Amino acid sequence: MELRRNARSLIIWSVIICALIFFTMSLFRSVLQFQQQIMGMAKIVPMAAMKARGFGNISDIFSGLGFYAANNLVYMMLLGSIYSMVLSSNILLKEEYGKTAEYLMSRPVSRDEIFSSKSALVLLYITFLNIAAAVVGLLSLAIFNSGDHNLRPFLVITLYTFLLNLMFASLGFTVASLVKSARPVTFFCVGLIMVFYFIFTISRITGVNGDFGYISPFKWVNVNVLDPSYGIELWRIGLFALLCLVLILAARFVYKKKDILT
Amino acid sequence: MSSNIIEISHLSKYYGRSRGIEDISLNVEQGEFFGFIGPNGAGKSTTIRILLNLIFPSSGSARMFGLDVLKDSKKIRSRMGYVPSDANLYDKMKVHEFLRFGAAFYGRDKSEDRIRELAGIFDLNLERRITELSTGNKKKVNIIQALVHQPDLLILDEPTTGLDPLIQSRLFSLLIEEHKKGATVFFSSHILSEVQALCRRVAIVKEGRIVKSDEISVLREKQLKKVKIMFADEGASENLQIPGMASVIAGSPKTLEFMFSGDVNELISRLSGLRLENLSIEEPPLEEIFLHYYR
Repeated sequence: MELRRNARSLIIWSVIICALIFFTMSLFRSVLQFQQQIMGMAKIVPMAAMKARGFGNISDIFSGLGFYAANNLVYMMLLGSIYSMVLSSNILLKEEYGKTAEYLMSRPVSRDEIFSSKSALVLLYITFLNIAAAVVGLLSLAIFNSGDHNLRPFLVITLYTFLLNLMFASLGFTVASLVKSARPVTFFCVGLIMVFYFIFTISRITGVNGDFGYISPFKWVNVNVLDPSYGIELWRIGLFALLCLVLILAARFVYKKKDILT
Repeated sequence: MSSNIIEISHLSKYYGRSRGIEDISLNVEQGEFFGFIGPNGAGKSTTIRILLNLIFPSSGSARMFGLDVLKDSKKIRSRMGYVPSDANLYDKMKVHEFLRFGAAFYGRDKSEDRIRELAGIFDLNLERRITELSTGNKKKVNIIQALVHQPDLLILDEPTTGLDPLIQSRLFSLLIEEHKKGATVFFSSHILSEVQALCRRVAIVKEGRIVKSDEISVLREKQLKKVKIMFADEGASENLQIPGMASVIAGSPKTLEFMFSGDVNELISRLSGLRLENLSIEEPPLEEIFLHYYR
């Protein structure tokens, strides 16, 4: 039942994000055609603006993978994370603000089981969204990028993006379990992600690579896909995995002790 | 082994600084039809929600079927049915689909027949969507979902809200039938007439505390009397003080009406020096007992 309840929003989000990826990638050939003009424009457009849009260097625009990674930053890292956190927080909280918690929790089902089934569903949905986006990304690269197709950096950034989405979903569960009043926390989730994204963008623009930028989980994703040494870095994977685990366990612990007020 | 289905011991719940319930203790025996009465905000729903493990007590403990409500809530809930006072249902589902979904938690094979039987009793269309239902029809769905799996214990929180008199009467008949089959019923309400009609024993809750818990017959016969005196002389009722006299209901220069919990002989003795036109001593209805505790 839960699967059906949320399927509609998953389909809408997937279609929108996939369409955005596809149509933005379809502009890549035009970008190559107008390379000279763009290089000219780049002289008057501040580099900060380019970095804010996800391009590390102006030359990244002219690489299919670099172009894709910059779009992935906005569409899957930002929008995908918003979807993930809003989904996970609401999937727990809507039983409370929708006043169905009293019905559900008077059935012979433990809070552990409720939490586990909702977590599994969120994992399934985020996996679906990421696979759909990755498939559309690969297809659009194959169609619109006539250059080399190096699959490895593509898979690595896809993995990082997936972990980032899962981390925000775990954070969403934690927020939902901590909230005492029965009301949606959508605006809080979106606001929190935008703050993290803003910190990440500022750190990119100013080139600050110290501790400041790492406050934001977006910074934990290595987006420099054109770097020749680009690959899986275990510390990044470990950091995401550890945080997901800690957040989920904390959320589960608090949820089991939470007063369900409807 | 205890024959108590519900055992509540010194249960308190605070929401921050505000009081939910304070030091509530009560037992409900197996097969009992127990009334839990009090006005809105007295703490009835808070007590029930602790029993269901929806909220956690600040102190005290509660057991149902001999099991701890915090540690064994899943086992407890498999044996009980609950009608909430105000709970929403999954709006997008059809009534039939919703009831089957609920019954599936209990794994009953015969739930389909039971759903149709109960829908017939309550005159409920199973093919309608929940979102299309009126408040009264939603209440019927809530009642049916609590009865489908034929629980050993029924907890009903204001079950008649939104129901018309005919359906209320059918509900009462059904509850009596379930009770006869052996179900224990915990009936929470602020409507005293229905509690009086159904329950053997009641607990009266006031501002989060139980102010009285006894059999209705005991409350009516032994504890309180309703005394009405009509004096022959004007002003005779003034300054009349009798031990046990409480809750003056009405008074005028020639009449006095009050609830009395003292010795009847003492009352007669005190009145013997006065000229009376009439005197009546009655067992009060539950409503007046209730009001006595609330004054």
